[in-house]
Amino acid sequence: MSALEILGLSLLALFVLAGALGTVLSKNLVHSVLWLALALVATAGIYVRLTAGFLAGAQVLLYAGGVITLAIFAVMLSARIEGGPIPNESAKRGRGALVALAVAGLFGGVLLQADVLAPRDLPVVDAADIGRSFLGEYVLPFEVLSVLLVAAMIGAIVIARREDP
Amino acid sequence: MNVLFGSPALHALVLGVGIVSALLGVTSYFIWFERKFAGRMQSRIGPKHVGPYGLLQPIADAFKLLIKADITPDTADRALFNLAPLLAVCVALLSLAVLPLASGLVIADLDVGVLFFLAAGALTVVPTWMAGWGSNNKYALLGGMRAIAQSVAYGVPLVLAALVPVILSGSMKLSDIVAAQAGGHWFALWPPGPGLGAGVLFVLASLAEGNRIPFDIPEAESELVSGISTEYTGMKFGMFYLGEYVHSLVVAALFVTLFLGGYDGPGPDVLALQLLWFVLKVSLVSVLLLWVRWSYVRLRSDQLMTLCWKYLLPSGLLLVAASAVWVWWTEQGGSR
Repeated sequence: MSALEILGLSLLALFVLAGALGTVLSKNLVHSVLWLALALVATAGIYVRLTAGFLAGAQVLLYAGGVITLAIFAVMLSARIEGGPIPNESAKRGRGALVALAVAGLFGGVLLQADVLAPRDLPVVDAADIGRSFLGEYVLPFEVLSVLLVAAMIGAIVIARREDP
Repeated sequence: MNVLFGSPALHALVLGVGIVSALLGVTSYFIWFERKFAGRMQSRIGPKHVGPYGLLQPIADAFKLLIKADITPDTADRALFNLAPLLAVCVALLSLAVLPLASGLVIADLDVGVLFFLAAGALTVVPTWMAGWGSNNKYALLGGMRAIAQSVAYGVPLVLAALVPVILSGSMKLSDIVAAQAGGHWFALWPPGPGLGAGVLFVLASLAEGNRIPFDIPEAESELVSGISTEYTGMKFGMFYLGEYVHSLVVAALFVTLFLGGYDGPGPDVLALQLLWFVLKVSLVSVLLLWVRWSYVRLRSDQLMTLCWKYLLPSGLLLVAASAVWVWWTEQGGSR
């Protein structure tokens, strides 16, 4: 990797880190949502650096577009709609830190075992190949996932529905 | 990848700066044209005092916006309030990166070009939300929430409409989609049905996503003052305005690329001629969109949602299925 590439990746990593920290540490719920958006878009940038263009596009479309929009609606519909910042107190910090440490340990361990720092040419992941594997080899898990999503959606509607008077 | 100048990075930089500067210039004169056009449609003359035919009006307007007082409301969320207009313009300009203006004249010819501009479109909710929330004004907030609801709803038919040329050409790369339409086989004309239907659907959905009339309920001035831009003054307001116009030009350009053969046209394949065809088509489509804008009244919020979910979404699904059947049928015919 050239110095420029390392610089680019470090910058992206910095953005992901800043976004993630902002999401948890911000005292304002609206700011938390926007920090999360930064973290998600910067993650897409890392995917681009890893020559996974399709994954990057899907990440921005679904996470930065879809999930952030849902988060915005959740914030707006659950809180008072106007008048100052919405407070955002972190609860159960100890347990949260424990989970974070465990995840960091897991990923760190995997990364140390894998030979990731060795220079190599990354294969370009073709969107057509992803499509073929979804509708060919992995068609059953793919369809099962779709059924799961539909079930979750129906479940949400049933829970949110008010009984007719 | 084809590059015109040395390395891909240099190519992207030179073309990016060139195309963005050109577009910003074109946009200010597009606004002048729209004002003239709207004036004629309403039996007025439009701008006429600054320069011959009012041609210097865009420059005067930009100057006026620059020297106006820059006001940030005391109770606004300063960071979000000031960042939102900047992001709005950046997001509107993003789709330009994958647009092929002529053969080889594209900033970054991504393999997933269609996905890229759909993703860029999905990002518009972020600056809208920042402006709506950050202004700390109820009209801005209501406008922001309407805009977000609208872009979420219309994002779905937009994806379906953009999928039709992808299925017909078998590629998500915009230059391949243009190449598949070479020689007058434009998707809006052939195959009859799915192509044209998807084209209309694409324009409706992208106008709605960009909040243009007749889908501009987020800033319905009779109800919401002017929606998310209510608290903005001077150049910060100007940037929202600019972002909206850049978006409508980009929509026209994407429509031309996906459905009208892009830079394809009669004559030899030279760069200048291809560019001319592209500009000509984009101008025609833009005028058509202006015509629609000044002819129809705004839809009500619930009518807008009805139109999206009950009509556009099912027809989008039908069109995708129809184009898949068409591709299957032609392949069957080819192998026989």
